[in-house]
Amino acid sequence: MKFATLSVGALTRAASLALMAALVVACGKSEPPPKPTPKSTDAAPKSVATSTLNVLATSDLRDAQPLEAMVQKATGVTIKFTYGGTMESTEQVLTGKTTADAAWFANAKYLLSDPQGQTRVKLQEKIMLSPIVVGVSESEVARLGWTDTTKVTWKTVADAAKSGKLKYALSNPATSNQGYMALVGVVAASTQKSEALTAADIDRKAVADFLRGYKLVGDNSTYLSEKFYEQQGVYVNAFINYESWLLSMNQSGKLKEQLKLFYPREGIATADYPFMLLNDAKRGEYQKVVDYLKGEEAQSWLAKTTLRRPVNPAVASAVSFPGGTLIELPFSPDRGLADGLIDAYLNEFRRPIASTFVLDVSGSMNNHGRRGDLINALHSIAGADASLTGRLARLSSREKVWMLPFSDNPGKLTSFEFPPATSTANAQKKAEVLEQVRGYATGLEMKGGTALYDAILAALNAMSAEQAKNRSYQYSVIAFTDGESNQGRNFAQFKEAYAALPEDARAIPVFTVAFGEANDSLLKEIAKMSGGRSFDARKTPLPAVFKEIRAYQ
Amino acid sequence: MNRPTKALITVVLLAILGGALFWALRSTQQAQVASGQNPTLNLPGLRATQTVELSGLIALDVEPFFKDQRVLKFLADHGVKVNITRVGSRDMAQRVAATGGPDFMFPSGIVAANQIADAAKRANMSATQTTVFFTPMVIASWQPIANILQTNAMATSLQPSVYSVDFAKLVATMQAKTRWKDLKAKDAYDVNKSVLVSTTDVRKSNSAAMFMALAAYTMNNNELPTDRATAEALAKKVADLFKRQGYQENYVNGNFDDYVSIGIGKTPLAFIYENQMLTHALTKPLQPDMVLMYPKPTIVNKVVYVALNEKSKRLGELLAASPEMQAIGLDYGFRIADSGAFMQKAAAAKLNVQEKLNDLIDPPSFETMSLMIDVVTREMSQ
Repeated sequence: MKFATLSVGALTRAASLALMAALVVACGKSEPPPKPTPKSTDAAPKSVATSTLNVLATSDLRDAQPLEAMVQKATGVTIKFTYGGTMESTEQVLTGKTTADAAWFANAKYLLSDPQGQTRVKLQEKIMLSPIVVGVSESEVARLGWTDTTKVTWKTVADAAKSGKLKYALSNPATSNQGYMALVGVVAASTQKSEALTAADIDRKAVADFLRGYKLVGDNSTYLSEKFYEQQGVYVNAFINYESWLLSMNQSGKLKEQLKLFYPREGIATADYPFMLLNDAKRGEYQKVVDYLKGEEAQSWLAKTTLRRPVNPAVASAVSFPGGTLIELPFSPDRGLADGLIDAYLNEFRRPIASTFVLDVSGSMNNHGRRGDLINALHSIAGADASLTGRLARLSSREKVWMLPFSDNPGKLTSFEFPPATSTANAQKKAEVLEQVRGYATGLEMKGGTALYDAILAALNAMSAEQAKNRSYQYSVIAFTDGESNQGRNFAQFKEAYAALPEDARAIPVFTVAFGEANDSLLKEIAKMSGGRSFDARKTPLPAVFKEIRAYQ
Repeated sequence: MNRPTKALITVVLLAILGGALFWALRSTQQAQVASGQNPTLNLPGLRATQTVELSGLIALDVEPFFKDQRVLKFLADHGVKVNITRVGSRDMAQRVAATGGPDFMFPSGIVAANQIADAAKRANMSATQTTVFFTPMVIASWQPIANILQTNAMATSLQPSVYSVDFAKLVATMQAKTRWKDLKAKDAYDVNKSVLVSTTDVRKSNSAAMFMALAAYTMNNNELPTDRATAEALAKKVADLFKRQGYQENYVNGNFDDYVSIGIGKTPLAFIYENQMLTHALTKPLQPDMVLMYPKPTIVNKVVYVALNEKSKRLGELLAASPEMQAIGLDYGFRIADSGAFMQKAAAAKLNVQEKLNDLIDPPSFETMSLMIDVVTREMSQ
């Protein structure tokens, strides 16, 4: 079966990252319409006096957006940032899908260790630094026994997670540099290997121990921070992220208590933010921007405002950062390692997902090809999407899915369950269940009205009942709709009924996906009150929306 | 080419370096002899009546030099206008073209220069190599690391912040997979990491190829590999020293940037060109515990200008033979024939350097080097 063999593809790690990203991107992540620069750059005629530089940046660089204005003022070059996750952005550059002139990633080693990636990147300069560290609520430090900051290693972190004492927030290891490098740190600490890791070094038990403390899951740091501000001291007591991010949170005034930063001994992975030229025709602009970014003004601003470490020695000598001597982990370019870790994370280690898909099958879904879009999207998560980001989005081993179609009323709940990836028999079984999901999707028929709110309530009640039976899953509801609710409860009645739900049910996030004439603001409100997120399939194709949602589950 | 000037430089160098640098110029002369012609040329210092416009590919290492206003003015005064594009040294050879290609290339070192000359030969073009500057390969390190290596009999102090490192012993320590914490007096760097010198990616960079040449020489009982089997076997051993580092930077400054900005925690030992350190010292604050280690034996990188046609030869002569250009080269940390001037420059930057380079080795022949790079490339992609 295709599904089981995908991870072992002959593709290099980076290439598969790339592929995965490529697909996501091909599906049209909300990019601003880029200038159609011809991609065969060598032959490209110099664009006439348009002093612009489109920059594809990793999403953790959102805080550097004021640089757009600063660069413009200082150099006359208009730079425009577009943001994406690390893996996805890597894939865009590797495949040549991006039309950006330059790329600015927290970590480009995935890209630059790939021969294809090396040909895409014409020039590169590191701009700043930030190590990945563990921030722990101050009141928890003593309880963890982490009084000697120099003794904490990734092994210590994994042990504390295993014992249940450490409950942390972290960006998704399958999509983000922080998440992935944390797993690498754990593996390195458990093997005590003194040089670059390979796939053979993956210590599955250590990874499983570490992930027992992974309580707050998400794809971007802004989302994770918002949740962390709410949940600190209740569900979570630690945050693993870039030093700069955690220092900024400490300055935000929004934390219940300060985070104490731990720099895992001999396990530091530092983001070095290379600024890379992709479009040879933009050398002049690129050089001006880089010179400015490495100059005193920008470096001081980056250090003081974004709390990243400057690379300019003159500026660096004037600022100080905690942590002492940081012993860096060698970055392994071994594709087998990355493939193995990400695959194992998704199918074995992560808290398995249990979710109800609330599917709008009202008559209006027959318009404008929406029915086909929905069916295609379900097909893609049920195994038809072979890209690497596709792999992230696919239904994985140990997952439980319920389908709840609705039109005039909530319909019949149908459940699908995927076995753990423990045997070839299970792999076969998984393939069969995927087939069933695809068959189910194909059979969807659309007619009648839109009882959206009743359907969401029914799904929350069903998930809440499942949760009471088995707490080891990560529960969520994903609601798709193309119109205003016009049957059953209205929004006010829904809010009333929602407020009356037991606390456990209200803790289940609802992800909403709007298309057609859906009421945006109400869907956003539902997502907000339940701790979910709202997505707009009118701007982003459905398969890509699915992939985004998966990163939050 | 004006042979008298060249010969004079050779003599001066020989006198200074006790013959060790003879090879550095020998191949240049051979290339010139091979090209077999010596058309009338303007001597440096004489104003040209006509301006010649040249397009060239240059490496990052020499880009600041080429963008220096003094250089541009000097060249303009001598009737040369250059249009330069910076590309990776190792990507240059593939851009050699009989028609429509660049007039000259100025890569970061001898390995790439030889690849370019080889590509030119295959394209039936005559390439003229001219050594413009040179710089020895050094290991940038830190005082606590130097102390540990000294206690473990791998390094000896030459002067404050300058050490000589026994490269054979260091390589043996690396091959034995010794960890820093296994060494004597390791307290200042009590770390689980293996002792490894960090380099750039040999598939992309000249400096890593110099490391390979030096490591292979010491692994081979201080002999250059001459036969294929030996070269292949040595390349495999060296490949291991590269692979075990994990990801390696693949642009020339990557390794040195890490040394400067991340420091001892990432790069306790960084294999770099001496001129990178001196350029840094000339323009930026030095950290007090930075030290330079000169490998023993050592290897020198020649910065070689390659003219790919007649009209571009003159630029090479201007660069190599005019005192003005040579003096500006000092500002970019390069060594020139005038050793005293170099020492003054280093003193001005408050950087201690070793004036005399003893025990210099040649890199292996171009063929052997290419073979070894191929073997390492294959090993690395496994």
